[in-house]
Amino acid sequence: MDPQEIYRYTVDGDPPKVKELTQQALVQGVPPEEIIGKYLIPAMAEVGSLFERKDFFLPEMIAAALAMREALNIVKPLLAGSSDPQIGRVVIGTVRGDMHDIGKNLVSMMMEGAGLEVVDLGVDVSPEQFVAAVKAKEPKVVGLSALLSSTMLEMRATIQALEAAGLRERVKVLVGGAPVTQAFADSIGADGYAPDASSAARRSKELIQFRG
Amino acid sequence: MNGKERILRALSCQQPDRVPVIEAIDLPALKKLARLLQIDVPRSVEPGSHAARSFENAELLCLVAEKMELDGLRITNSDPAFAQMLPGEARQDRYGRTFVRKDGRLWQTAGPIKTEADLDGYEMASKIKAEDYDEIGYIVDRVGKEKALFLRLNDPVHLGWTLRGGMSNLMADFVLNPSLVHGLMRVATDYIKAVITMTAAMNVEFFNMAGDIADERTTLMSPRHYRQFVKPYQKEIVELVHGLGLKVMKHTDGNVSTILDDFVEVGFDGFHPVQPQCMDIGEVKQRLAGRLCVIGNIDCRFLLPFGSPDEVVESVKDTIAKAAPGGGYILCSSNSLHDYCKAENFVAMVDAAHQYGVYQ
Repeated sequence: MDPQEIYRYTVDGDPPKVKELTQQALVQGVPPEEIIGKYLIPAMAEVGSLFERKDFFLPEMIAAALAMREALNIVKPLLAGSSDPQIGRVVIGTVRGDMHDIGKNLVSMMMEGAGLEVVDLGVDVSPEQFVAAVKAKEPKVVGLSALLSSTMLEMRATIQALEAAGLRERVKVLVGGAPVTQAFADSIGADGYAPDASSAARRSKELIQFRG
Repeated sequence: MNGKERILRALSCQQPDRVPVIEAIDLPALKKLARLLQIDVPRSVEPGSHAARSFENAELLCLVAEKMELDGLRITNSDPAFAQMLPGEARQDRYGRTFVRKDGRLWQTAGPIKTEADLDGYEMASKIKAEDYDEIGYIVDRVGKEKALFLRLNDPVHLGWTLRGGMSNLMADFVLNPSLVHGLMRVATDYIKAVITMTAAMNVEFFNMAGDIADERTTLMSPRHYRQFVKPYQKEIVELVHGLGLKVMKHTDGNVSTILDDFVEVGFDGFHPVQPQCMDIGEVKQRLAGRLCVIGNIDCRFLLPFGSPDEVVESVKDTIAKAAPGGGYILCSSNSLHDYCKAENFVAMVDAAHQYGVYQ
């Protein structure tokens, strides 16, 4: 088989086929790092572009992410030194009082597809839980999600909690969600804002690179 | 002309005597409004029970609507099984969906349909209980002759993802399991039709088919998928409503400009709420004039919660100038009057609509 098919079937959103092709590629001796770096990450970058151009919608994006995850489940355990994230680690969660998860889940998937390691804290995450996760996981980026204009105020509380814990300088804070705007992100002292899942993944990598 | 007559004219894309005003008022906002308007919360003879609270809330809604001279309301029922839930407690409803209560709201955590096999013999329609709609019957009897009361129905997409235990699951099914999507839409549509038939017999005359199928960028699914998996079921429901001589609006947040013409083809009588963050009310009105009534657009994300009454008045004047000429417009918030909205801003919105919405 041509390993390039992993790219194609990931973009097409075919999880069983990607799983099968990944297993075949490993048997053929394709290194796990190459499967991720040469096929999966570029495939998800293409999915992100198609989504931003409105050629892809949520169903196509989620199907592609599920296909990618099938491959990652196989190849990740084979990576040497897998405890170190390849590009950077992100702690992500929906803020306190807000149980919406689809936006946050999409961001997680696209971040994984961009080669980031994602620690997903789930929904209704308190500032204290974010602080504890930053201490324990030492991420480079903290991603905060909110769908409600009431709960987005919790983003400010979370940033303040990171400041109070002396952790603010150690992480970049990226915010997003339906009511969130760049102006709001600026007003609460966030480092970045992303209007959708694809740009959240890209913006995270930019923040990590900028941070050095 | 009473409120219901105004709404009927607007839904027919005609001009009433003034721009009609409706609202979906959440319970905490209703209580704040009642305090501002100095309306006493009614007390029932058996305080504390779910039935009593339902009566109190239903009567309070009627009193507020009367005092504010609203032309219509969204009405919604509360499931007695969930009324006594403790914070953090999880509970399964009779359709197999699991919810948890948090901050006074119900959040779904799981659904009963994991594979297509789970749909074998699964149906919702026979599990509907008339007593779930007792408070609806009360409100209809109380003010239904004068006001248009829109019963909230969850549309097939919304019900579909609750059965699948999350929107991500249903969205993935559009690509990975198309026959499961059709199965879910069938179950949901049959249920919705059964609710309509039952509540129409209780004299409910207006329905609000609620369920978000877009975000601020565009539709959640492609227009092609919408037409393939959703539109036929919506049409089937609308045909039932119209066959009964009744009216139905479609509610969805987000930018649905790519499928607005489809809403006309489905036969909806109104489109709500024209979210101001992503849809221009003037453009939408121009595009739909004479074909579909436009409803909403007064911002409840920032303006009603954080703005001033003067800013609200300016927004109402501006919106009326763009959307009201020729009729076919109903004024209300861009989703609902939720607990963060200021009561005085809502009063300013309604008063301004009455003042500036008179047709010459």
